[in-house]
Amino acid sequence: MENESPKIIPIQPAPYSRSRQAGESQNVLDHIVDDFQDNPASMQYFYDLFRRVYCHGDALQHEGMLVGTTCIQAPEELIYAFGATPMRLCNGSYHYDQRGADFMPAKSCSLVKATLGMLSSETVIPKIGKPDLIVNPTTCDQKKKASAMIEGMGYSVYDLEVPSVKESEASRVYWQRSVRQLAGRLQELTGRKLTRKSLKQAMSKTTRAQAAFRALHNFRRQSPSLILGKDAFLVTNAYFFDDIGRWTTAVEKLNEELAQRAKAGFKAVQSKAPRVLFTGSPPIFPNLKLPLLIEESGGVVVTDETCSSNRMLYDMTAVDEWRVNDMVDSLADKYLKPCTCPIFTRNDDRKRRLLDLVSDFNVDGVVYQAFAGCQVYEMEYRSVAEEFNRAGIPLLYVETDYSTDDKGQLSTRIEAFLESMKNRKKQRA
Amino acid sequence: MKQNNSRLQAVRDAVNRVDLNSFRFWLQLAAFALFVYGGYFAIDLGSRLPLFSCAYNDEGRAAICYLLPLQHQLSQPWPRLFSIASITVITGFLTFVLWFIFLNKGWCGYVCPLGTIQDWITALRRRLGIRYSRYSQSQFAQLTRVKYLLLALMILIPLGIGGGFFSHDMSPPFCLICPARMVLPMFTGDVSQFTIDFSSKTAMIMTAVGISITGLFLVGAFVKKRFFCFFCPMSALHYLISKPALLKLKKDGNKCTRCGDCYRVCDMEIKEIADDVKTVNIMADDCIMCLKCVASCPEEGALKATFAGIPILESTEAGFIKRINKGCSDGK
Repeated sequence: MENESPKIIPIQPAPYSRSRQAGESQNVLDHIVDDFQDNPASMQYFYDLFRRVYCHGDALQHEGMLVGTTCIQAPEELIYAFGATPMRLCNGSYHYDQRGADFMPAKSCSLVKATLGMLSSETVIPKIGKPDLIVNPTTCDQKKKASAMIEGMGYSVYDLEVPSVKESEASRVYWQRSVRQLAGRLQELTGRKLTRKSLKQAMSKTTRAQAAFRALHNFRRQSPSLILGKDAFLVTNAYFFDDIGRWTTAVEKLNEELAQRAKAGFKAVQSKAPRVLFTGSPPIFPNLKLPLLIEESGGVVVTDETCSSNRMLYDMTAVDEWRVNDMVDSLADKYLKPCTCPIFTRNDDRKRRLLDLVSDFNVDGVVYQAFAGCQVYEMEYRSVAEEFNRAGIPLLYVETDYSTDDKGQLSTRIEAFLESMKNRKKQRA
Repeated sequence: MKQNNSRLQAVRDAVNRVDLNSFRFWLQLAAFALFVYGGYFAIDLGSRLPLFSCAYNDEGRAAICYLLPLQHQLSQPWPRLFSIASITVITGFLTFVLWFIFLNKGWCGYVCPLGTIQDWITALRRRLGIRYSRYSQSQFAQLTRVKYLLLALMILIPLGIGGGFFSHDMSPPFCLICPARMVLPMFTGDVSQFTIDFSSKTAMIMTAVGISITGLFLVGAFVKKRFFCFFCPMSALHYLISKPALLKLKKDGNKCTRCGDCYRVCDMEIKEIADDVKTVNIMADDCIMCLKCVASCPEEGALKATFAGIPILESTEAGFIKRINKGCSDGK
């Protein structure tokens, strides 16, 4: 009979959720959720989101066309205004970092390698589907050179030209033109026109998100802290790929909870916990190694100056005349003038911003992360260290990458750093 | 005491959230009505005012712009000017200074009728959906000096007239070429200033230049915000005596992220407002103290306007967000 034929069990590829890559995210997420006490209840939204997207590999939905961005310098309001959805492609996975090593020299930035690794893989996580366009701002050398490689993988890439000086008038005019050209390219892509109405709607979306971010930022001034830095980083990381409306609502809910915590006199950490400002190369999930090490060792990251969090969401746009032209130029200004990225010639604004955060957030010490191979951050270290030296603020410089091999050694250094800050605090008291 | 403080803070918060643009619109309108039509209600605030309340608007004016009496006084024959009349020049100037120190350049941004007219022309352009133009920075650096040149001429030419070097037909030189002389009387139905005086060659040239400048004023204000204020000798004079002024524009550079939002909205394109993080008294010579920069600054307390040392308007995050949301949702 027919059913006598031998049963063949086809070899099925293991589901993503059982892969080593998912395991990497799983481990970090479990650590974030389970190894700390008193997580805010409203963080559950973000924990679930990361679990779905990074651990289970669930697909992400988006409206309209999908425009990937490789840097915060790509004006997302423009992308929204054309009815498309921006998705930040900067990746934090060690799995992709190793994969991307094929494209770049040995001593290159983990972030760029991981982004290349992600785009070159068959299973892109977060599962966003293939972007209709990737906007690649010409910022650091590695991102510049990544452009052609991404194109070689079969993506359509647009190089958004960023000047390397930001103070001069020439660069401002050049950049405004660049941004207008991007608008032209997006119009071509989507077949839509940029209207006052659509741009206003896009700006009100981002304004609402930024206002929510700023409220969260302000809650973190409180000492002792109401929320840990690892959660805050997770929140801003979610902004990379989450639906902006949903994200904002979730942050607003978190803020409500923090307001209640403040009223109730809640402490997320011990009163003496050293308050740390995090700066340098951006922590991106699952690479939250350094912030997590700081907080396991009894410190708390109270604020940051990184492009995966503060620099991405803090600065807001002012418009004088609400017409398309003036709005686009205003957006251009906002993406260039306050940016503290080390790719620019001078870094006075970064130093001033850091000092301001130190005084506003009652910071005890600074941790400066530089991804091995991220030359611009490595080069800026000296001048930043001098500035902090002069101000008498302890600074720990950590050169690292996405691998977890140096965790033990880093943990010793961080513990020693936090210990010295505690002693300083005691002496001052 | 504590309750008083919290009440004061509540008032301050409310003020800092004000919709500055519409507040300014109504205040400017009221000031315009006062200075252009106040004369009909027998209002007379004297002739030493630091704004273009033009004397040629005979019936409607509520005061007289100081530049006219100043030029008249300076064009007196020298023997008189350098003896007893010098006292009236000095007292006149002091009265002018007293008026001025109240509002500083706030006179320009909130009270001056000629400034208000330019803002109306700007509003018209905006409604028509036409874009404004900007100067390049090198143009700006050159143009910003013109007002000092005009100020110098405005003092030297009357002195020359008094000394017999120039014809009396040139007097008062600045008024003859000032657009306010033609534009403001128009608002009370008087268009008699729109004429070229053919009585002498000098008068003809002066009035012809005046008409051309008025034409330029109307066109200029249409394409460039506050076009005339860049060249205004009154503005130059203001700046020279602005040190003791009570109303001040202050900046706390430590709180500034140099995002450039203030520069973005500045009608006078003053870049230092965004880039200078050292100067505390940040009012530049071109500033008209409209305080739009304060309203468009998202950093808590980075920019503020103070009156006699008391903060009256301060940049706040909440105020900024409120204004930007209004902008986003207006007139969809």
